[in-house]
Amino acid sequence: MTQSSKQLHIPVEHTTLANGLRVVASPDRSAPVVTVGVYYQIGFRLEPRGRSGFAHLFEHMMFQGSANAGKMEHIRLINSSGGLLNGTTNYDITNYFEAVPSNALERVLWLEADRMRALKVDGENLRNQRDVVKEEVRVNVMNQPYGGFPWLDLPPVAFRNWPNAHNFYGDFVDLDAATLADVQHFFRTYYAPNNAVLLMLGDLDPAEAFTFAKRYFEDIPVQPPPPRADVTEPPQTEERRGTVPEKLGPLPALAIGYTAPPRTSDDWYAATILERVLHGGRSGRVYRELVLEKQIALETDGSYDAFDTNGPTQMVTRIFHRPEYTSDATIAAFDSVIRDVQEKGITAEELDPVKVKFRADYYSMLEGGMGSYMPRFGLMHYLACFTLFDGDPKRINTVLDGFLAVTPAQAQAVAKKYLVPRNRAVVVRSPLKEETEKSNGGAR
Amino acid sequence: MTPRTSSTLAETSPNRGVPPALGPERPVAWPKRMSVTLPNGLQVVLAESHVFPKISAQLFIRSGNPAIAHRAPGLAELTARVIRTGTTTRSSRQIEEDLRRMGADAGASAGADTSAISIGGLAEFSEGILELLADLARNASFSEDQFERERRQKIEGLRVERTTPAFLANERMRRVLFGEHRYAVIAPTEEQVAAYQRDELEHFYKRHYSPSNALLIVVGDFSTEQLLAQIEEALGSWQGARPELIISAAPPEALGRQVHLVHLPGSVQTQVLVGNLSITRRDPDWYRTVLANSIYGGAFHSRLVMNIREQKGYTYSPRSGITALHQHGFFTVHAAVRNEVAAATLTEIFYEMDRMRSLAVTPEELENAQSYLTGVFSLGVATQDGILGQFSTVYLDRLPEDYLETYREKIRALTANDILLAARRHFDSANAQIVLVGDRDQIADQAALFGPVTEYDAHGNKQ
Repeated sequence: MTQSSKQLHIPVEHTTLANGLRVVASPDRSAPVVTVGVYYQIGFRLEPRGRSGFAHLFEHMMFQGSANAGKMEHIRLINSSGGLLNGTTNYDITNYFEAVPSNALERVLWLEADRMRALKVDGENLRNQRDVVKEEVRVNVMNQPYGGFPWLDLPPVAFRNWPNAHNFYGDFVDLDAATLADVQHFFRTYYAPNNAVLLMLGDLDPAEAFTFAKRYFEDIPVQPPPPRADVTEPPQTEERRGTVPEKLGPLPALAIGYTAPPRTSDDWYAATILERVLHGGRSGRVYRELVLEKQIALETDGSYDAFDTNGPTQMVTRIFHRPEYTSDATIAAFDSVIRDVQEKGITAEELDPVKVKFRADYYSMLEGGMGSYMPRFGLMHYLACFTLFDGDPKRINTVLDGFLAVTPAQAQAVAKKYLVPRNRAVVVRSPLKEETEKSNGGAR
Repeated sequence: MTPRTSSTLAETSPNRGVPPALGPERPVAWPKRMSVTLPNGLQVVLAESHVFPKISAQLFIRSGNPAIAHRAPGLAELTARVIRTGTTTRSSRQIEEDLRRMGADAGASAGADTSAISIGGLAEFSEGILELLADLARNASFSEDQFERERRQKIEGLRVERTTPAFLANERMRRVLFGEHRYAVIAPTEEQVAAYQRDELEHFYKRHYSPSNALLIVVGDFSTEQLLAQIEEALGSWQGARPELIISAAPPEALGRQVHLVHLPGSVQTQVLVGNLSITRRDPDWYRTVLANSIYGGAFHSRLVMNIREQKGYTYSPRSGITALHQHGFFTVHAAVRNEVAAATLTEIFYEMDRMRSLAVTPEELENAQSYLTGVFSLGVATQDGILGQFSTVYLDRLPEDYLETYREKIRALTANDILLAARRHFDSANAQIVLVGDRDQIADQAALFGPVTEYDAHGNKQ
């Protein structure tokens, strides 16, 4: 039996409760495990001014106690049901999710509904989590070589509108300024059923899952729709550059970000495929040219949050280069890769395998996506984004067609339109200590 | 209280104050696997998993960095990296293009017990994927330019690692716990990498990448019969002898708490790592020690996390764990904390450790931890990589065939007394070794409270 391009079909059922909560179920009974997520349409882009880092601090507060599950109850109840849980704060969404044996589905829904209904936290909880968040920033950014590079470095250089351009992890001054009143106000404004989607995946019967969802969530009161902040950027007319000192790491590095087309536009499909032409692993053009051929760089990678952002977003290349090359020489080598795509285009022989790999990566993302510890994380994540941003979770089964239909001409056209200096920002991470300890480095 | 709308679901409206009971448990069925040894000695384990149209394969070589550490630490790692870059029939570029054409990724690396080539891609290309895997395992070409490029990358990577607190802490802890044993070294020096010879890599490859020294696990959307035929085609004619076993010196006996301070000037945080030698998965105490660890600091709801994160706010992500290498295991506790509370953190780490050793856990804690471990264990069955990971544990560590199937019942059978016993035997508070990575000027006084202090720089030189 030969299988050719076997297409995957994900079963998806969805409904909306009377209070506006959208509910999505995707059954898969191959393992006795369910993954549950609640996604709120609020991220660090929209946190209040003067409160940088607040959306993330708030995410921590959602584990600190709700009406009927006190501090640590939430975590204890999930762990003692045999499950794992976490939450993350993103540009435009904040998510809370659990993977548990399927007999704990109802319990998980009870817990998520309890904290959607009412947060019950005090000043002590806030002080405690503020301390925890500061240690999170220290361990991930301040005390880590290349910490925050480039996700914290690029936005202030690339963008001019505060929602897109501020420090998303938060200045410690702003974290200290946050009050309990801020917490409750943020909760009331954004953590409403009509600003969220509930996802239930795995070993479940959709009809029964919807009954549970109704039982626990439907009488949570609807709230006025949250204010929609203006996240548009003023037109950019020239390249933007910035420098950030690298206090720990010894290698010079730089990040180049191009502002990407709006999601779901025709250009978005082509840009997403183009990004894989440039960055797709070691066969991507940037790695091939800079690391393998010219050997200017020691490592390069790329990132582009094409699916889970709903506002100005960049397609980013990171380059760690050899100290004997200057930033300008490295950028020039990168520019020649871009120019080559713009001038000579991409052949079908190059693009077709990129699309095969794109399809494979899409499946891998749906199956795991955050390592294998949280099954179906990617499926949950994409279903949530398609629901909140596009109003259609069933795009999970059709969106691939748009990517696979991108032609060489379209990829070249978006390269010419978007990969231009007036649409990009460059951040240089320059090491403070340049290889001074060499003489020290002997065997002990 | 937030006001509630009147419910239209009065009859089914739940008692909101109490969490619902768990439903009846569904059995956890690990996929049926086929385990065969080919005539050339290659052990093969196959399991079907059909939800996603892809496969994941991993070829393990039962020789890691310690196998060559007496001559060149880290050489097995560089060997694996260079293998990935070319064969006698494929250039580096050809390998990358073939991978992409099959929707595949590949990786090669070496650790404490094994070297491994992993490859995963679309199921429809399983034959080509296995052929490429076999090419890497059998025909690597070790070209001079790829060797030099990978060597340079490795040296620069080491320079970055020597500025990374967690790496420095782990490196020091391994040296302290393992002494002259070959597990002591987790990374070479720059000078050692600079001294590697290309033909040493090739020699290591010829000696150790051999079918009778290898284990191939493939999980994915295939028919076992068909895949086995493809494997026989790709790897059936692979030949080679089993390399001789290496005897390593015994690790030292720890004599009392000692502090090992790695000075990282200007560090805004202290990386705390506490550890002692422990057991392997084949030890009869394994299950009870794993359960004890889960209550101590191995889970979010564990005592240590509650204490130093949720009550005191010292740290973001503290955790404890048992690293079970093939010959020896070790127990560690780690936390990255603000400098002022380095000593206070150690006090709590030892307080919680000693409490585990002195008092039986409550029945509720016991039950919660049992449910946690048995539940989380079963999450692995839902993904191809989760299945592959568990199978590799069983077959690499040569555990009983029914390890996965009986794990949950063995955890459930444990008592509070088992945990007390495990904590007393394997959380060696009195002889625990303490590694602190941070700024000496900020933490030296605190370090001295816990025992004699030896200081090092980031390169391992004693100060």
